[in-house]
Amino acid sequence: MRTTRWAATAAAVTLALAGCSSGGGDDDGGTDGGTDGGGGGTVHLGLEQDVDTLLPMDSNVGDNISVLDVVYDGLVRYDPETTEPYNYVAESVESDDNKVWTITIKPDLTFQNGEPVDANAFARAWNYAAYGPNAMANNYFFERIEGYDAMQGEVDDDGNVVTEPTAEELSGLAVKDDLTLEVTLTAPFAGFSTMLGYTGFFPIAQACLDDIETCATQPIGNGPFQVDEWQQGISLTASRWDEYTLDETPAYDTIEWTEYAGEENWPDFQAGILDVAFPPPAEQAAAAADPSLQERYLESPGAALTYLAFPLYKEGPWQDIEVRKALSMAIDRQGIIDALMPGQRVPADSWVVPDGVPGGEPGTCEWCSFDPDAAKAALDAAGGWPDGETLTIHLGQDETEEALFKAVGDSIQETLGIAYELDPTPDYFARRGARDFDGAFRANWFPDYPLNENYLAPVYASGDEKNGNTNFGYYGEEFEAAVAAGDQSASLDEAIGHYQDAEAALAQDFPTAPLFFSVNSYYFSERLSNVVLDPFSGEPKLRLLEVSDDM
Amino acid sequence: MGRYILRRALLGALTLLIVMFVLHLLTTFAIQLNGNPALAFFGDRVPTDAQVAAVEARYGLDDPCYDQTGNPCLGPFVERLGSYAQGDFGTDLRGREVTDIVATAAPNTLKLFAVVTVTWFVLGMGLGSVAARWRGRPTDHGIRMSSVLIDAFPIFVLLLVYRYVFAVPLSGWATSTFGADSMAALWFRPSFDDDHPWATLLVPGILLGLAGSAAFIRLVRASQLEAYTGEHVRTARSRGLPERHVVVHHVVRNSSVPVVTAVGLTFTEALAGAVITEGMMNIYGMGGVLWEAVRASDVALVVGVVTILAAVTVVVMLVVDVAYAALDPRIRYA
Repeated sequence: MRTTRWAATAAAVTLALAGCSSGGGDDDGGTDGGTDGGGGGTVHLGLEQDVDTLLPMDSNVGDNISVLDVVYDGLVRYDPETTEPYNYVAESVESDDNKVWTITIKPDLTFQNGEPVDANAFARAWNYAAYGPNAMANNYFFERIEGYDAMQGEVDDDGNVVTEPTAEELSGLAVKDDLTLEVTLTAPFAGFSTMLGYTGFFPIAQACLDDIETCATQPIGNGPFQVDEWQQGISLTASRWDEYTLDETPAYDTIEWTEYAGEENWPDFQAGILDVAFPPPAEQAAAAADPSLQERYLESPGAALTYLAFPLYKEGPWQDIEVRKALSMAIDRQGIIDALMPGQRVPADSWVVPDGVPGGEPGTCEWCSFDPDAAKAALDAAGGWPDGETLTIHLGQDETEEALFKAVGDSIQETLGIAYELDPTPDYFARRGARDFDGAFRANWFPDYPLNENYLAPVYASGDEKNGNTNFGYYGEEFEAAVAAGDQSASLDEAIGHYQDAEAALAQDFPTAPLFFSVNSYYFSERLSNVVLDPFSGEPKLRLLEVSDDM
Repeated sequence: MGRYILRRALLGALTLLIVMFVLHLLTTFAIQLNGNPALAFFGDRVPTDAQVAAVEARYGLDDPCYDQTGNPCLGPFVERLGSYAQGDFGTDLRGREVTDIVATAAPNTLKLFAVVTVTWFVLGMGLGSVAARWRGRPTDHGIRMSSVLIDAFPIFVLLLVYRYVFAVPLSGWATSTFGADSMAALWFRPSFDDDHPWATLLVPGILLGLAGSAAFIRLVRASQLEAYTGEHVRTARSRGLPERHVVVHHVVRNSSVPVVTAVGLTFTEALAGAVITEGMMNIYGMGGVLWEAVRASDVALVVGVVTILAAVTVVVMLVVDVAYAALDPRIRYA
């Protein structure tokens, strides 16, 4: 489940500087040499053990994304402050109509095996990812490119393949010359250039395509670091690639990732083996009380939104917006956070994370603050809650989330007098997809690329006026129109404005109630400086980190 | 003896087959009831049917029987047996060879078990013998009391206290006193280091061994007490043999049979302890791999790993049975 993995990642990704001091790193006489490279030094990071591939087309969890961020370079990269995209491997990304995009690539760039990074390098990666039977995790990112549908097989209701794909390449991809790639989308989309910095759009070498299995564990990148060794499940080492020609390269030589089975790496941080970590709940109070640790603490709003969804495909109280408003206003978001996980969530009053992605603004949700009187009034206006009915809240099985949603239920019960029950279910996704929930349910969203559109269209748009979208049964005419207007805008800024209109339309329709945004927080060691958390992924920016040699 | 071993080996093979089949049924039903793991691949997105089908095919779960609750999925099982027979243990969900995973994980677990077994023997034979030798004295009471105390601390409590209370200051002290690369600093490292497996496995292994040693201490004590009152011991003493000789050759050796049996039985129990130890000390071992595989509904990996573990257990049992003969010539194999 991608989103919980993301959330876990936020706590698990740790970053640390090796003991350059304590004997030049490890004593195996290996690759550490902290003295020869000018900057020198080794950075130690933690990874979750379930990193299972380093193939860009197949990497969609925080951990392999953070490794690939230094091993590969994308066409665009994102500003660490604002998350706005800027060209990196791309010389330019242009379009007159948002439908046909011309991507020009900087000359003379190569992969770590010497192959050129050219238009073909991108085309071969994208074609491989888009080809349905390859079952790549990032397959769906290519839905917007013309010819995607022909590359997917068709299946009957039982999931048996009835037609094989009719194409192996995206018809919307045209290699004009070595450095020019023309991409035709199925419909205009102003945010296309924003998507290009995502891991799924990285290029691959021909040698990688020839032996995908090897490439998944020994990537051939085009970024400032190359993978030296990956002992899957144990550790991963990457070191500086000397022939790197672009500017954004870290000031140290080596990164060593240690893989952790869970999030139990706090003692390692305390012992100086890892230099960035976040403590488990039992240790948080002690860490917060330590003045020296507090000087090395970073906190920033995260991008993951947890919300309460309503089954709009069902008859009953859900159809009445007053009921939905009443339930939302009955939830004491701040009180729940303070009681259960202080500092680790923030109350959400918008559908797009404010400041985390372009276009996000606070306070778009009118009915997201705790107001018992208004909640009761709204419920009265709707004619009250059906007599004798219990409010069921469905969610996946997760201890932390169950505790949170028990508090949400308690808050509703206390304010409105509605009896509730939690239904933690192991097959949450299957049941949600089958519209099997007849009560409210927990949902979560982590965006795929930093643009407010990504919180809106993939979650709520369907174009299906009759049935609404699959998960909630929502359809909003004004919402769909605003999204479409955004997609066709002449500039990204204009598009962002239209997407904000879409969020406003959503706020009036109120199909879901935003509850909490995640928070990214880390402690780091004395040896680290310039630690910047990416506002989008919440992870430390590896290319900006600085490591001091002393101590 | 040869026929005995053959018969036991055949019985072992049958046990293996049953274990595999039961496991296959359990994991199959888990998928049928909990939903296909392929769906989790998509997280919060709503995949198209074609996308789900492609991932199911990649996961090896595209046989329609996985969608039919109650269907035992015999087809995939027979297929799996066939490839196992050819030494092909398949891959996990993301395409990594099961044998590769086991080859990486098993040595760490075996090293852990080696430390654990040595701890058992040293503590069990040592303390148990002392307690039996000075039965009823304060030493005996003290040892018996300690064994009750040890029982009262489950392994996860021991490890939790060790990691969060002792490891950090100890490793800090060792680092500043002996240097970061010293053995002492490695011993007290709060987690496993693959470059120094033995040094970093020592303390967790001793703790895991300690947690399981109480039963051994009592077992050794009881069986030696029995031996002390045995006729052969009285005879040996009456022949004027030195007490040391009597204890070593007639008491300790004769009391070893139940201890060896217990090692065999506890070996499987230790695996459960290994899951916890490996998880907490971040050791990439069989326990941790299995734990993750079950959580991810990774059928091929679960069945593959457990089959290998079951095979090891069957072999250990066989070795234990054979060891009886070496320890006690009176035991005959009919």
